[in-house]
Amino acid sequence: MKKLADLFYETAGKFPDKIAIWCENHSLTYEQFSKRVSQYSNFLLENGIQYNDKIGLPMNNSIESVGLIFAAANLGIGLVPINPTLPIESIKNAFECGDVKHIIARKHFLEQYLVEGNLEIEGISICLDEQYNGYPCLQDALNICGERPIINQVKGNETLIITMTSGSTGNPKPIDLTQQSKYQRAMTHIKLYDISKEDVVLAATPLYHSLAERLVIMPLLIGATAVVLPRFTPSLWLQCVEEKKVSFTIAVSAQLSQIAVVLDNENEFNIESLRCLVSSSALLDEQVKNHLIDLLKCDFHEMYGTSETSTITNINFAESMDKKQSVGRVLPGAQIKILDDVGKELESGKIGEIACSSNLMCNGYYNKLDVFNQAVQNGYFRTGDMGYVDCDGYLYFSGRKKEVIITGGINVYPPDIEQCLLKMDLVAECAVFAYPDDKLGEVVAVIIVSNNEQEIKKRMVQVHCAKNLADFQQPHKIFFSNELPKNAMGKVMKNKLLAYVQNNYEC
Amino acid sequence: MRKMTVREYVLNEIQKKYTIEDMQHIDELNYVESGYIDSLGIIQFIVGIEEEFGIEFSDEEIAKPEFRVVGKLIEIIEGKVRSNEES
Repeated sequence: MKKLADLFYETAGKFPDKIAIWCENHSLTYEQFSKRVSQYSNFLLENGIQYNDKIGLPMNNSIESVGLIFAAANLGIGLVPINPTLPIESIKNAFECGDVKHIIARKHFLEQYLVEGNLEIEGISICLDEQYNGYPCLQDALNICGERPIINQVKGNETLIITMTSGSTGNPKPIDLTQQSKYQRAMTHIKLYDISKEDVVLAATPLYHSLAERLVIMPLLIGATAVVLPRFTPSLWLQCVEEKKVSFTIAVSAQLSQIAVVLDNENEFNIESLRCLVSSSALLDEQVKNHLIDLLKCDFHEMYGTSETSTITNINFAESMDKKQSVGRVLPGAQIKILDDVGKELESGKIGEIACSSNLMCNGYYNKLDVFNQAVQNGYFRTGDMGYVDCDGYLYFSGRKKEVIITGGINVYPPDIEQCLLKMDLVAECAVFAYPDDKLGEVVAVIIVSNNEQEIKKRMVQVHCAKNLADFQQPHKIFFSNELPKNAMGKVMKNKLLAYVQNNYEC
Repeated sequence: MRKMTVREYVLNEIQKKYTIEDMQHIDELNYVESGYIDSLGIIQFIVGIEEEFGIEFSDEEIAKPEFRVVGKLIEIIEGKVRSNEES
């Protein structure tokens, strides 16, 4: 198996004049982009960053971020990308879990967290966008040697990306993705979706999630063009597909629902270049799915998987029109089992927990292998999702066992929000749950029981959350109650919360 | 530390993730349509402004199209701050 950076440089050598990457009116050819990757690599080395070091990266969608991924692969360095809007405690938590030694961030971030906050970084801090406070500036890399430095230690099995699945007040699960797993995942999807060097591949989800990382790595390994959308709105997405002649992309279902609405209202977009579109992250609403299949004259797929296992099933609706409610059949190299509560395998048609094994499985949770192993049974990762397999081998998703809210394609863990709210003196009890939303799929909702000493106001809750939670964790619906619906054992009935507010409140 | 002006605060918050390249037309920029503040970030953005300047927006104010335009939003906030100071 080739090493990620080796294959990238080889490809760049074959197609020097071809556009490698585009982002917000800037583009670089393969020759220019590979030079940029080499300059970043040399710059990191000059600043004392060494093989196997971990760099914290509050990541946005930009050419710089993609360049740093390949520079990290080239040097055998690990990146810990995070959502730049995370509150300070979550950032500290994530960096600690990922053994972060250095940081590369925009001035805004460094100012807020390093200079005015109390984030401590043991190694070097690099400012990504401008000269600031005497920190080395990544822009200066463009003035240094553009020859590729070769680090002989790099074998390809080094950790490349550590992705946090949770990580606010709770315990993050740092998913360890090695260069090899990133390479294998990219190659499997290139084959699955028949992606060639003629394709223009769009990444329109945040680069700190593995989906967008795959969408930029894939094209750059085979000589195709990577298009990075910095900010998502349905109109910007459609405009980008039209202008850049995007031919392939994977979008999260919440994006597709919004795109369908805009396509309905504004018929001016010409997106005929799109030959294949894949929906991922959460089940796509059936009506939206049917509507998009009618509207877009291209292959339309839906995939199912987790960050730990990568894609497990896929369905091309053009080939399986009678299985529209399914998320597809297993990919070569993957297996599924449906398990009952005691871990026994269920026969087809019976609903149970989806467990999967795959040759694309991550390297476990970084420094927390015991936690990862607890989620694995005989080589099968227990996803926490419920579903069943029909007699033809198609998987159907039927809900979640794990408490998780998927808002705009991002996972939110209710205990993270609950623990944050319980820090308010006025909150005696609270329960966080998913509330359906046309735009985002689901939004965070909470029922709060106050401790009765003082009246609690919605605004107090909003201010507390704005200060202590990331943007995607903010409660969009706040309800106050004298009690939470509980069962006879006194346990909050989480699955009854939505019905409870729908019956008792004007929503 | 010097308290930020309304303009400085708003521009800072909008550029939390991305630097705006075209600063010449910043006052006309619709920060929602251009994705600088998305559906996930809007609540935090509004509550942050309210908290920073000790003001409150009504649902009607937030729903108005001009609320999403940088220059107009700055005017709305400055107006509220002024009437707070006068009362």
